[in-house]
Amino acid sequence: MSELGAWQGWLLGWISYGSFFLVFACSYAVIVLGLNLQWGYTGLFNVGVAGFVAVGAYTSAILTTPEAADRVGGFGWPVAAGWAAAMLTSGAVGLLVGAVALRLRHDYLAITTFGVAVSIQLLATNLQKLTGGTFGVQFIPKPLQGWLGTGLVWNLAYLALVALLLFGVYSALQTLTASPWGRVLRAIREDEAAAESLGKRAYFYRLQSFVIGSMLMGLGGAMSAHFVGYIAPEDFLPILTFQLWAMLIVGGAGNHRGAVLGAFLVWGFWTTAGGLLRGFVPQAEQARAAALQVVLIGMLIALVLVLRPRGLIGEKVSAAVGK
Amino acid sequence: MLQIVADGLIIGAIVSLGAIGLTLTFSVLRFSNFGHGEFLAWGAYFAFTALSFFGATAAGKAMPIAPFSFGLPLLAATAVAAGLTALLVLLLDAALFRRLRQQGAITLVIASFGAALALRNLLLFFYGGVPLYYSQDLQIALVLLPRSVSGGLRITPDQMFVLGLTLFTVVGVHLFLSRSTLGRAMRATSMNPQLARVAGIDPERVLRATWVVGGVLAAVAGVFAGLTVQLRPTLGLDLLLPLFAAVILGGIGSVWGAVLGGLIVGLAESAAVHIVGAEYRAAAAFVVLIAILLVRPTGLFAEKTG
Amino acid sequence: MSTPALQIESLVAAYEPGLPIVRGASLSLATAEILAILGPNGAGKSTLVKAAAGLVPIVSGKVWLHGRDITQVPAHRRVFEGLAFVPQTENVFGNLSIGENLELAAAILKLPRAQALAPVYAMFPDLQRQRGLLASRLSGGQRQMLAVARALIANPRVLVLDEPSAGLSPKLVAEVLAQLRLVRDSGVSVLLVEQNVKAALAVADRAAVMVEGVERIVADVQSLRGDPRIAELYLGRHVVAQPTARAD
Repeated sequence: MSELGAWQGWLLGWISYGSFFLVFACSYAVIVLGLNLQWGYTGLFNVGVAGFVAVGAYTSAILTTPEAADRVGGFGWPVAAGWAAAMLTSGAVGLLVGAVALRLRHDYLAITTFGVAVSIQLLATNLQKLTGGTFGVQFIPKPLQGWLGTGLVWNLAYLALVALLLFGVYSALQTLTASPWGRVLRAIREDEAAAESLGKRAYFYRLQSFVIGSMLMGLGGAMSAHFVGYIAPEDFLPILTFQLWAMLIVGGAGNHRGAVLGAFLVWGFWTTAGGLLRGFVPQAEQARAAALQVVLIGMLIALVLVLRPRGLIGEKVSAAVGK
Repeated sequence: MLQIVADGLIIGAIVSLGAIGLTLTFSVLRFSNFGHGEFLAWGAYFAFTALSFFGATAAGKAMPIAPFSFGLPLLAATAVAAGLTALLVLLLDAALFRRLRQQGAITLVIASFGAALALRNLLLFFYGGVPLYYSQDLQIALVLLPRSVSGGLRITPDQMFVLGLTLFTVVGVHLFLSRSTLGRAMRATSMNPQLARVAGIDPERVLRATWVVGGVLAAVAGVFAGLTVQLRPTLGLDLLLPLFAAVILGGIGSVWGAVLGGLIVGLAESAAVHIVGAEYRAAAAFVVLIAILLVRPTGLFAEKTG
Repeated sequence: MSTPALQIESLVAAYEPGLPIVRGASLSLATAEILAILGPNGAGKSTLVKAAAGLVPIVSGKVWLHGRDITQVPAHRRVFEGLAFVPQTENVFGNLSIGENLELAAAILKLPRAQALAPVYAMFPDLQRQRGLLASRLSGGQRQMLAVARALIANPRVLVLDEPSAGLSPKLVAEVLAQLRLVRDSGVSVLLVEQNVKAALAVADRAAVMVEGVERIVADVQSLRGDPRIAELYLGRHVVAQPTARAD
C-alpha cells in the first residue's frame, strides 16, 4: 500500500461511502420504478413491496451461492442467471397475487399484498433448509470479483453496472408506457368508462402491469443483495415497504423521473438522518435512535401527503376500482 | 382438540374486539386503517404505565384478586388506557386523517401505514424492545378436563376473565349500536351517508364517535393481549393481519361479522400452532384471508353500504 | 306580501370548482304551495334542490328559509331549521324496517317517538300497518311513501323532493303526487323536481322551467298548460326568455 496524503485518504473514504450510497439508491430506484408502474400508471396499491423484493433477493441468492451447511445450495448459477431467475419468481408471485386480488376493491389488494409480505417474511424466517432461517444467506457472489478484487475498484465497477441497469430499465419503461400498450393502460387508469367498456381485457392489462412491476422489484432486490453479499429476513420488514412508498410519494407518482428522483432523495434523507442520529447519540441508545429515525421519516411522509400530495414532479393518480 | 378450541377462543376474543373497531372505522370512514393494530399496542402500553402508577401509589391495596393475576389496579389502568387511546385516535385523526379526507381512500391508507410505523417505533423508543408483563406472578392453569378426555382442557383464570369480559363487551356494543341514538346514527351513516345527513345526522359527530369506540375497544383488546401473552412493540403489527382477515371474513360494517370472523381467525391460528408449529401462526390469518377472498369477497354478513 | 317559505337568490352551485351546474337561478316558494321545477336533462334541476338541501357546494347566491339565511348552514342542520329533503334514489335505510326508519328519524330530531310518528302514520296508514317490513323489501311506490314519511317526521315547513315519480307506474305516480297535495293542504310548502311534466302540472300550483342552470319560465300552472314553449324547451329548440304576464 502506497503512502497517501491525508486528503487523499479522506477522498477515498468519501468515494467508498458514495459508492455504497449510490448502489443502494440505484437498486431502490429500480424497485420504485416497478412500484410506480403498478401505482402511478395503473392505480394498483401494493403494500407488500418488501415481500416481492425479498423473493427476488432470496431467489438469486439461493441459486448463486456455493454449498452451505444445512441449507439448500451449491447450484452455482452465474449472477446474471440468478438475476433473471429473481425476476421470474417475483413476477410469478405477482401473477398469483394479481389473480386473487386484482379484481377486488383496491383496499383489499392492499391488505392482500400486506399479507403476502408478512407470509414471505415468515417463510424466510422459518424455512431454514431453503433460506437459512434467521441467519439468512451469506457469501452471495459478487460478480466480476475474480477480475477486480474486493476493493474500491470493484465497488465502482458494480456501481457502473447497476447504474447502467437502472438506465436500461428506465428507458425500457419509457418505451413501454409510450407504446400502444402504455396508452391503453393510461386510458384504463384515467377513464372509468373506458375501463368498463374494455371489460375483461382491462383486467389483463392491469395484471400485466402488476407482474412487470413485481419483476422489477425482484430485480432490485437481487441487485442490492449481490452488492452486500448477505441477506436476512430482517432486511425485508414493513419499514422497507414504507421507505419505498416514501420515495414514490416524495418524487411524485405517474412519471418515471419522479420515481428515480424520489429514490435518491429519500435515501439521502434517510442515510443522513441515520448518520446524524448515530453521531450524536451514545452507543447505548442506538436502538432507540433507530426507532426515532423511523418516526421522523413517518412524519416527513405525513407532511408531504398533507402539503404536497403530488410530490415533487408527480401527477395526479387515483386508485383503480379493479372490478 | 378441545384445547385448540379453548386457545382459539382466547385469541379470537382479542381479535374480535379489535376487529369490531376496525370494521366500524372501515365502514364509516371508508378506508382500511393500517394503524389500527397500533391502537391495541398503545392501549396495552398505556395500561402498563398506568398500572405502574397505580401499583406504586396503592401499595398494599393493589394485591391481585385471587385467582386472577391482577386486581383493581389493572381494571382501573384499563379504563385509563381506554380513555388515553381514544384521545390518541382522535388526535391522529385531527392531525393527519382529517386533512387527507379529500384526497381519497388510498392516500389515507398510505398515511395510516406510515402512522402505524411511527406509532410502533415510538413505543420502541419509549419502552424498549424487551417484552413486558402486567404481573410477574405465574398463573396456574385450571384443569377442566384431564388429558384423557379429548386431549384435555386447561385454562387459566385470566383467560376465563378475558372470555367473559369480551362477551360482556360485545353485547354492550351491540346494544349501543342498536338501541342508542348515537349508535343507530353510526349505523345509518355507514349504510347511507348522504341520507343520514339529510335526516339530521352530524357526520363529524359520527366520525368522532366511531374513532372513540374503535379506540376504546382496541385498548381493551390490547390489554387482553398483554395479559394473556406479553407486551411487546410488535404487538400491533402481529395482530394487524388477523384483524383485517376477521373484518373481511365477517363483512365490512358488520359487528357480528367481525366477532365471528375474529373467532374463526383465532381458531385457525390455534389450529396452526398445534398442528404446524408456533412459528407459522401468522400465516393462519393469511390463509383465512385468501380463502374468503376467493370464495366470498364481500364477507359472511355483508351489509349494504350506500 | 308575506315572507316566502323558501327563497333562492341568484344561486350558483357546482360539484367541482369551475364547473357550475346552477348558474344564477332564483326561485321563490310561498307558504302552502306546490312548485314544480321542470326542464330538460342536465338543466340543473336536481343540483338546484340538492344545493338547497346543502348537499352540493354553493359558489355564490343565497338560500332563505322563511326569512332566515341558511346558505352557510351545513346539510345535517337544515332539517332542524325546517327544510326536509327527499333524495331521488337510496332514500330510505334499507336495512331497517319501516318503523325503525321513522323511529330513527324521530330520535335524531329529538322528538318523542309516539307523538312524532302519530301524524305521519295517520297520513300513511299503509305504512303503519306494515311497519315491521324491511325497507329493502318494499315496492317502489311504498318506498317512495316511506321516504316522504321520513321527511315529514321533522314537521318541516318546506319539503323538497327530487323526482318523486322516478321509476313508478302512472297509477303510483298519481298516488304519490296526490299525497303531496295532502301535505300542502296541511300547511307545508312543497318544492319538487319532476321529469314527468304532465303529472307535475296536474298537481303543482306553479311551475318553473330550468334550462342550462337558470330558470327561464316561472308561472301559474294554468297559464303553462298548452304553452308551446314547454315542448320546445324539452325538444331543445332555443327559446328566448321572456317575462310572462303573471310570473311570480
